Amino acid sequence: MSLLEMAEISKEFPGVLALERVSVSAERGEVLALLGENGAGKSTLVKILSGVYPYPEYGGEIRIGGRVCRFRGTRDAVEAGVTIIHQELNLVPQFSVAENIFLGREPARRGAIDQAAMEREAAAILARMRVELDPRTPVYQLSVGQQQLVEIAKALSLQARILIMDEPTSALAQSEVLHLFDLIRNLRRDGVTIIYISHKLEEIFALADRVTVLRDGQYVGTRSVAEASRDELVSMMVGRELGELYPKAQAGLGEAVLEVEGLSAERPDRPGAFAVDGVSFQLHAGEVLGLAGLLGAGRTELALTLFGAWPGPCRGRVRIGGCEALPRSPREAIDAGLALVTEDRKLTGLVLGMGTGENVSLASLPDLSPLGVVDRRAEESLVRRYVQELRVKVSRLEQPVGTLSGGNQQKVVLAKWLATNPKVLILDEPTRGIDVGAKAEVYQIIGELAARGVAILMISSELPELLAMSDRILVMHQGRAAAVLDRVEATQERIMAYATGGV
Amino acid sequence: MTRSNLRSYSMLGALVLMGLVSALLTGGVFVRPDNLMNLAVQVSVNGVLAVGMTLIIMTGGIDLGVGSMLALIGVAAAKVFGLGGGAVAAIVVALAAGLLVGAWNGFFLTRLGLPPFIVTLGTMTIARGLALVMSEERALPIVNHAFYQLGNANVPRVAALAALGLMAAYGLWTHLRSANRNWLHLALTLAGLALAGWVLGDPSVEGLPMTVVIFAVVAAAGSFVLNRSRFGRHLRAIGGNASAAALSGINVRRTLFLDYALMGLLAAVAALLLASRLASGVPTAGNMAELDAIAAVVIGGTSLAGGSGTVGGTLVGAFIIGLLNNVLVLMNVQSNFQYIIKGLIIMGAVLLDVRKK
Repeated sequence: MSLLEMAEISKEFPGVLALERVSVSAERGEVLALLGENGAGKSTLVKILSGVYPYPEYGGEIRIGGRVCRFRGTRDAVEAGVTIIHQELNLVPQFSVAENIFLGREPARRGAIDQAAMEREAAAILARMRVELDPRTPVYQLSVGQQQLVEIAKALSLQARILIMDEPTSALAQSEVLHLFDLIRNLRRDGVTIIYISHKLEEIFALADRVTVLRDGQYVGTRSVAEASRDELVSMMVGRELGELYPKAQAGLGEAVLEVEGLSAERPDRPGAFAVDGVSFQLHAGEVLGLAGLLGAGRTELALTLFGAWPGPCRGRVRIGGCEALPRSPREAIDAGLALVTEDRKLTGLVLGMGTGENVSLASLPDLSPLGVVDRRAEESLVRRYVQELRVKVSRLEQPVGTLSGGNQQKVVLAKWLATNPKVLILDEPTRGIDVGAKAEVYQIIGELAARGVAILMISSELPELLAMSDRILVMHQGRAAAVLDRVEATQERIMAYATGGV
Repeated sequence: MTRSNLRSYSMLGALVLMGLVSALLTGGVFVRPDNLMNLAVQVSVNGVLAVGMTLIIMTGGIDLGVGSMLALIGVAAAKVFGLGGGAVAAIVVALAAGLLVGAWNGFFLTRLGLPPFIVTLGTMTIARGLALVMSEERALPIVNHAFYQLGNANVPRVAALAALGLMAAYGLWTHLRSANRNWLHLALTLAGLALAGWVLGDPSVEGLPMTVVIFAVVAAAGSFVLNRSRFGRHLRAIGGNASAAALSGINVRRTLFLDYALMGLLAAVAALLLASRLASGVPTAGNMAELDAIAAVVIGGTSLAGGSGTVGGTLVGAFIIGLLNNVLVLMNVQSNFQYIIKGLIIMGAVLLDVRKK
């Protein structure tokens, strides 16, 4: 009998079936990888296992060591030995390493926290992990990788038998990744079961014993990593020919509509450090220029700088259309013909409490209200046009945009920007967190826009998507442009080589 | 029907219910036309502040200084008369002073990045101190007929009734023209106008006080700004998600600056109404008035987190607070107990709403 069995787990969100009768099991002292594209249901599954989505908000049964578990919250899960390390770390930056490890269960003596005991125990755990870290260091002074180690230490101090890691390497440097892998192997040797979520095949081959593939909320299959091939896993993950998904035709390049020369952006919090460092490129009408790079390579920062939204000092020559100027505000950028679909639609893309229609018209209001009073007829006709064109599914235009599915929300963001009639559309991770069907629609929209002559700069961390959609790919590494690759010469390996600074 | 609409309707129901209970408790005195008109006058000052406060809280902000501004601007107006100025000069100075204090708030908020709570807390204390210093802690009397008329004159009954008739006709016309007809809204509008007509038609009422007219104009303008203007849309977007608003090309700093300046202007309007009715500039006036204004906004369904709310809801909230003040006085409740009862009813009203969600 397996240590962990999740049987026929289903989970429904309003309008979306996130998981449909998925069964997964894991042995003691095993690294089980959960593989799947964004929106496949990996995170949902582990959130159920860790009590984030409590019983009975899901269907199916969880058994640990043969006993049925019905977690009412994360606390129940922790008591049963299940701990999760989320993609976004949950640490208090001002607290020390030791204080974070024992947060909420500080060792106390006569009602007062026993600081010395806490630091001693923290040091013991860190030593067991073979991590050199002073328990008294405030967490904000640590790198992301070190912060992750603190999370792991916290999990170990909770006597975790099952440790879930959700995309743990997404923010790590290469050396930190290797260290993390060593640590995971040690934990496995000690009998800890690790559920490792990733969509990076290299990591799975390097680390996992078995791999379970999910797609669109459904169980696809489980393979032993020793016997699985890369191609097999990819086809299990994608489930269709790539050609079907990506309709971008090779463009006949138009004139250059965006010319960037020596663009730099200084970090407001660290003078002298550059988030974008002397980047130059050209973008033509009808072209999709992919922007590749690791997290922190400066891609989002480049987009914000072009859009006049970078909070620090920036410089460089930028020509948009015939007009030469680096926009100083989003308004100037919009007026020059730029549009920016930001990477996090909930945080920076949408006003969730406002109606769908009001979100669509938000960036076009100056044209709709020449005298300061919104022309509601003109607004409604503009909104209707783009809601229909992008096939946004809403019952009525007043429907709050926060109640829509992720894919529909993303289409509302796109509608907002298309309504401004942009010459250059910057897309930052345009398919993050939406299901495969909506993804295909977004790809189709991008293809149509390019065919109409819109120049598109597309940031994406999903290389297959980037390779399929782009005419050329600009690879960034530590704020600099490392290479520009043509569609024919670009491969995942070459992009990764430039992105990691290996060339 | 949006949720905030629903909220104002349920609070309107609460207001009507409280009115009926008040009528019973006061043996009918509360619903006498002269008392109802008196209530409308009493609500006006707080109502004007609350309309402005709606536009502030809509952005997720707050203005704690409006009570002190009532005092400071009233004293400033009285000073103008003391220096030999006329009514027009006093009004111009008052409005300019309001704008200036509002702009002062806006400057610290948008240029120096201090949170609204802190900035306006400071302004609250500073304005109160200035009022006390300028007046040497005395009420400054204002003897000027034209200025007195501002808060105390009446629009003749016939003209006021005609205006009500026009408003009813306009309401009916927009209703019939509108694509999605809201019958409940129409019925409530007509019922409200009918009530106003009944009050105005009574021989015990002299006419429609200018104070109420100004309050009504401010409320109508506030509602228009919030619902129909680009500025109002920007305020709601900023309150809902400031970063998304900024990345959609909205100049967040300029919008907020103008918003706080507008609040200052409305505080000046309220201060003028108050000074005219008191016929003096009183440095202790408006003590805790900011809290009544905030309470009216919150009772009216505007979220303290920003992003949603209506001026109509705020009017209902202002009348609920005005009704409490009015009835507790009619019933001879000791003023110390009035505070306690008012506080409990404010918490109860909002609690009802929180539990519904």
